[in-house]
This record gives sequence, C-alpha cells and structure tokens, in this order.
Amino acid sequence: MGTFVLEATGLVKSFGQTHALAGVDLAVRTGEAVAIMGASGSGKTTLLHCLAGIIRPDAGQVTFRSGAGGVDVTGLGERERSRLRREAFGFVFQAGLLIPELTASENVALALMLNGMPRPRAEEYARGWLAALGLAGMEDRRIGQLSGGQAQRVAIARAQVTGASVVFADEPTGALDSATSAEVMSALLHSTVGQGRTLVLVTHDAQVAERCGRIVDVRDGRIVGERAGAGAAPAAGPAAGPAAGPSAGPSAGPEVAA
Amino acid sequence: MIARVAWLLARPGRAGAAALALPVTAFAIVTTLLLGVLGGAQSFWTWTDDIGITYQALAVIALVLLVVPLLSLGGAAARLSARRRDDRLATLRLLGATPAAVGTLAVLEAAVLALAGALVGVVGYFALVPALGLIVFRGEPLGAAGVLLGWEALVAVPVGVVLLAVVSAVVGLRRVVISPLGVRTKDEAPRMHWLRFAIGAAVVALGFLLMSALQVAGSMLVVFAFLAAAFGGSLAVLNLVGPWVLRLVASGQAKRAKTPARLIAARLVLESPKAAWRQVSGVAMTSFMAVFAGTGVAVLGAIGASPDAEMADLVVDLRTGIIITVVGSFLMVACSVGVNQAAGVLDRADLYRSLGMLGMPVETMDAARRRAVLSPLRITAIGSAVIAAVVMLPITGIALIVDPLSLLVIAAVLAAGIGVVWLGLVATRPVLERAAVA
Ligand SMILES: Nc1ncnc2c1ncn2[C@@H]1O[C@H](COP(=O)(O)OP(=O)(O)OP(=O)(O)O)[C@@H](O)[C@H]1O
Ligand SMILES: [Mg+2]
Repeated sequence: MGTFVLEATGLVKSFGQTHALAGVDLAVRTGEAVAIMGASGSGKTTLLHCLAGIIRPDAGQVTFRSGAGGVDVTGLGERERSRLRREAFGFVFQAGLLIPELTASENVALALMLNGMPRPRAEEYARGWLAALGLAGMEDRRIGQLSGGQAQRVAIARAQVTGASVVFADEPTGALDSATSAEVMSALLHSTVGQGRTLVLVTHDAQVAERCGRIVDVRDGRIVGERAGAGAAPAAGPAAGPAAGPSAGPSAGPEVAA
Repeated sequence: MIARVAWLLARPGRAGAAALALPVTAFAIVTTLLLGVLGGAQSFWTWTDDIGITYQALAVIALVLLVVPLLSLGGAAARLSARRRDDRLATLRLLGATPAAVGTLAVLEAAVLALAGALVGVVGYFALVPALGLIVFRGEPLGAAGVLLGWEALVAVPVGVVLLAVVSAVVGLRRVVISPLGVRTKDEAPRMHWLRFAIGAAVVALGFLLMSALQVAGSMLVVFAFLAAAFGGSLAVLNLVGPWVLRLVASGQAKRAKTPARLIAARLVLESPKAAWRQVSGVAMTSFMAVFAGTGVAVLGAIGASPDAEMADLVVDLRTGIIITVVGSFLMVACSVGVNQAAGVLDRADLYRSLGMLGMPVETMDAARRRAVLSPLRITAIGSAVIAAVVMLPITGIALIVDPLSLLVIAAVLAAGIGVVWLGLVATRPVLERAAVA
C-alpha cells in the first residue's frame, strides 16, 4: 500500500471573509478509508469538495493518481473535472439525493449510462450491486418507497457501480439512527476498501469514524491531528457484486469509458 | 414578526435575477395582452346593430380564454417566490417564523411582483397602441383613438391582475409544503383509469354525431349553439383524456429510454401526468381552438357565400380575432411555462447540485427537464388538433381539412405553440445553471 491515490498540498479556500481552508496537506493511500472529523463549520465539506474536484481551491494543489498516471485536479477545467467525477469518483451524500422519480435500479444505472453504457447492461450491473447490498427485490421501487437506510444503500451502489477508484461520502450516516448507521457503514466499507478502493468520509460520529483506518481532525480550516482507527483491516466485499474486485468495475476504469 | 423578517427575504437569493425577472415579465405580458384585447374590443360596444352583439360575444370568449392561463400564472409565481427563499427558511424558522408567516410573505411577494409586472404591462400597452390601431375590423382600421382605454380600465386591469395573482398564490401555496428539504417523498405514482378514455371517446363520438346533424340545421343561431356545444364538450374531453394519454405514452418511453435525459424526462411525466398536462394544456386548448375555429370560419364563409357584405366582414374579422387570441394565449402559455419551470428547478435545487457533483453535465439535466415538457406538448398539441378535426369533419368534409392551406395554417399554429414553450424553457436555463453549480 505505498501509492497515494490523492495528494493535496497547501489547500487554501476562502468564501468572502471566511477562511474555510487555511493550508491543508493530506495524502490518501490507495485502498484506505480516511475519516475527516471536526466541529460544524470547520471546513470538512470544503476539504472534501476540493479533493473531489467539485470546487477549486484558491491556492494549493490536488493530484489524483490512477493506473494511467497522475492528474492535477486543480488544473482541470470545469468540463474535465465533471468528467473525472463521473468516471473515477463516486459520491454519497447525507440525504441520499437520489432522483425521486426513478426506481432504485434506474438511479444506480444512471451513473453508468452517463458514461455511455447501454441501458440494459447498466441496469444489469445496477441490479447486481443492489442485490449485493441487500436490496434484492426492491430494485423497482421508487426512492420514496424506501427507508432512509435503504436509500443510502442505493446511493452507495450508485457511487460504486462505475468502478470508481475513490468514493467521497459527506456524512452518509448523518440522517440515520445508530443501528442503521452501523449497517450502512458496513455496506460502504465493504464496497470500497473491501474491494481495494479508497474511501474519504466526513462524519460527526466518532463511532463511524472509528471504523475507518485513519481519522483526521480538522479545526478552523487546518488539520490539527491524526490517528489510526480500528478498521484498518480491509473486510470481505459483497461477493455477488458484478463489479467485485479492485478496478474490475463494469466500465473497466475511467480510461476505457466512452 | 413579518416586518422583522421581511428584510431577510428582500436580499437577493441564490437563484439570482432570472427568478425575479421571470414572474415580472410574465405579469407584464399578461397585463399588456388584457389591455390590448380590451382596447381592441371596446369599439365593438359602440356598435348597436344586430351583428354588433355577435362581436361582443366573441370578444368575451377571447377574454375568457386569456384569463384562464392568468390564474395558473399567479399560483406559479407564488410557488416560485416561496422556493426562491427556500435557502433562507431555516434562518426564518430560527427567528420564530411559522410556515404560515413564510406563506404570507410568499403571497405578498407574488403581489408585489404582479404589481410591478402590471405597471410595466401598462407601459407596454401604450407602446402597442399605434400597432393595435392598425387592426382592421368590419373593413376599417380601429384607429389609435379607438383602442385607447379610459383611466377606469387602466386602473382596473392592473388591480385585477394583482388580485388574481394573490388569490391563485393562496390556492397554489396550499399544495406546496414549505420545507428546507426540497426532495419530495411521495410513495406511489398515481394510476389512472382507462374509463377516462372510454368516456372521452364517447363524448367525441357524440360531438361527431352532433356535427353530422348540423347539416340539416338551417338557422345561423342553431349552427352557433351546436358549435359551442361541440367545442365545450371536446375541450372537456381533452382535459379528461389528456393526463391519461400522457401517462400511457410516458410509461412506454420510460421502458424504451436509452439515454439518461430521456429516462429522467419520462419518469418526470409519469410522476405526475396531471402536472405535466397542466403545463401544456394551454397549448392544447389553443391549438384545438385554432383548428376548430379556423375550420368553423371556413364553413361559415361557405354558408355565407351569398353576396352579404356584413357576413363576409364577419368571417374576415373572426379570422383576425382567432389569430389575436391564438397569439395571446400562446404568449400566456410561454409565460406560465417559464415561471413554472423556474419554480420547478428551485424546488429541486439540492438534487441538481448533487447531480452536478456526481458529474452529470448541466446539458443532460437541461435536456431531461426540457423533454419532460416538450414531449407531452407534442402529443397534446397534435392530439387536440386531431380531435378538433374529427369533430369538425362532418360539416367541413375531408376536402377542407386536408386542403393545403388549412394544413399549413394548422401546422404553423402547432409550430408556433411549441416554439413559444421552448422559449419559456430556454429562458429558465440560467436558473438551472445557478442551481447546479456547487
Ligand atoms: N459556498 C459557500 N459560501 C460561503 N461560505 C461558505 C460556503 N461554503 C462553506 N462556507 C463557509 O466555510 C466554512 C466551512 O464550511 P464547511 O461546509 O466546509 O464546514 P463543515 O465542516 O462541513 O461543517 P458542517 O459539519 O456543518 O457540515 C463555514 O464557515 C461556512 O460557512
Ligand atoms: Mg459539511
């Protein structure tokens, strides 16, 4: 586990008078789970968004390394960053933010269709992932017919179905009770680090953070501490998932996708 | 309380200028149209002969056709202003504002926007007066002096527009749950019964029979009565069958969709076929009216082929009136589509932002939302034109309907209707772009 999949140096980001990030260096290894913790307003989401190429820092650099070599994420234009997010990254948000009119499997398949995969194949992969995450039989339900935990697992399937090498999760358990939150974390860890992929997670919940390999503490836009979590050992993944196995995702990695 | 939080709402929101400009523009166009039609029609009331009453009746019909879309516009504008402020609702709640207070503010804002638009509309009307004066009725141009309204109307119309905006805002807001979480969680897509279709088919058949019987009717009055009955009946059928057909087509489209935009568009329609119908029903009615009235005029022209100058004038004038009403109601529809779409985008701003983060191009989101309006619109416009043609068939005969000129006119009307709605959609793209940016 030597290579860094993401490397950020000297990240600075201000919104008007607010210094959301005040010089952050962070390197994330391939296959590890990093939890970012900190008080509300400390800059966690801003850091996650900079790492994922959603927003551009005012200063500093983010490098993403894949099989094809390194990319300077901060140097890419809007379109290329959008494409990078679509093809190489996956996202899970607090509220799921799935398209409410689509069924579970359509929401997941959409991620593949955006990369140019024909719909029947995309839906097949989607169903495989949903089954692997314990949602067999619910593929044709609309999002409103699922519980919060189930919807969150659909979001995890969507983040992973493209074979994304890094999954970013911003408080994925923030809206769930503690039992459901533990289940969702298991699903998330299994489908990421369990497959040799990388997980970068923002959370308020110490129990959730403990399950990651490394915990980074943020305060006032700086990293103020770092420690090992309990979940350093990769767990076994969802065996039935069609995309099981590191970088053997259905779209066979971002480079091949149309 | 209201006064204390009003300043919070007054600051420019995330949605930007487009969300403010759209309703104002819409209300301005509505006001100009109403004043223009009133101004044009006021000279009808100076005519005291028999045929003058016919003109007055037709003017009233045209006004009613224009007021109906105005009602939905007010509701859409209020929804838009409620949504535009969604990002500040949390703050408002912390300050102790109840949902009712927030609703009151949204209604107030709709009223202010309506007033601003109405005033612009009055200016627009004055700008239009010279052009209106050129319109020919009964063989003579109306003249600028003839279309100039007195101060009573110039006050009453803006006040009426504001009042209608407030009433429809109150009604429209009842349907909206104001919540900072824009994502709706309805559990089941509504189903619709095939019985709708059966009833619809029966009424169209009845209309067909009615029109067949018309050939034996002699007097003009009977002809008018039959026409009105067939017109009203078929329009009611359109409203009954429209959502059902849209759902049917969309469900096929959802199954076959190959691209993300097509899939999302079809699902959006399926989610609420009634809402999809409401957005485009204005075009349905207008294109229905255009075909119905257009062929009707042709028939009247044929009946009145006798060397009767008054009759010939009436036929020409009816045509003029139809064109004005068609153009007017298309403009209304474009306005209400624009305002509705802006509100719809803001409704789901969180979702659009998250899709942007996932890497969905804004073009895809835009294509999905455009298609969700334009696809029902195409079905609706063509469907209503066909129904109108079927009902008119018995009296016009196939020759008149497939006449190149009537086909050309019908096609032009449909194209114009789809074009203005498309413009309404394009106008709201900036709102989407702002919402989708992280
Ligand atoms: N788009 C923005 N415009 C203005 N200020 C912003 C914006 N995004 C973040 N900020 C500010 O930057 C700071 C860091 O915000 P950030 O969202 O990163 O915090 P966070 O650690 O994720 O907080 P939370 O736990 O509440 O989600 C905050 O003070 C916030 O108000
Ligand atoms: Mg945050």
